Amino acid sequence: MRVEYINPFVESSVSVIRETLGVEVKREQITLKSKAVPILDVAVIVGLVGQVEGRVLFDMKRETALKIASNMNGEKISEFDELAKATITELGNMITGRAVTKLSEMGYKFDVTPPAVFSGQNMEISDSEIEALIVPIETPMGRIEINVALREK
Amino acid sequence: MSDNKTPVGSKGDGTFFKALIIDDSVFVVKQLSQILQSEKFEILGSANDGIEGFEKYKELHPNVDIVTLDITMPKMDGISTLEKIIEFDKNAKIIMISALGKEDLVKKALISGAKNYIVRPLDRDKVLSRIETVLKK
Repeated sequence: MRVEYINPFVESSVSVIRETLGVEVKREQITLKSKAVPILDVAVIVGLVGQVEGRVLFDMKRETALKIASNMNGEKISEFDELAKATITELGNMITGRAVTKLSEMGYKFDVTPPAVFSGQNMEISDSEIEALIVPIETPMGRIEINVALREK
Repeated sequence: MSDNKTPVGSKGDGTFFKALIIDDSVFVVKQLSQILQSEKFEILGSANDGIEGFEKYKELHPNVDIVTLDITMPKMDGISTLEKIIEFDKNAKIIMISALGKEDLVKKALISGAKNYIVRPLDRDKVLSRIETVLKK
């Protein structure tokens, strides 16, 4: 997978989280996985179709999602309810939007699906044809993993 | 913003502009409501999809001064909803809310009669200045 597709997602994740949540974030070591990858409790997934295709997933623990939702809403949210889901989806929207703008500026043409959020336990994702690159981001609210599986068509 | 400034939501005659929010994200509805209410707008209602949004517009017409309309929504998307509302009321003041990277849809909406647009993430000052521009037109 070419690093030029990954960087916009990593950079926009770092900058959006920093600006939106007002916290310092730290990028951890990147890992490359070609088999099934475990996913944390709450995940936002976005699909890309066009000159670049595949999917990007942002996952985190439930308690991290609740802390982020509380921060973004300015009130304590202790249940993963509709508002929490919409808030985490919006965070995914913001990160994706900024990354997609960068990729478009680089000349790639593609469409993006609206983000979908799902939650559960012991989940994993397998991408049969594209290897996944995982970039963990450490925040005071917990770790967020950016899991990118994209390729050029 | 200073306390003695006239709120953006004021019509200047002691009454206030009335808004309808159509957006499938409860987070965005909440954000927009807070921004608008802080400037004394009256939120007449909100809807989470285009079909419900169009029904609400018809029901509340002619009391709605401004509509915020999300471009991507389930059941009926923002562009179709926009076209339906404009067909029903060609003077409707509609401002589109879009995620980044949807420039083509925004252009289509402006051609179809939307008065302006706002790209998310929502910035309070930008939201208010765009809405103010539309209301003054």
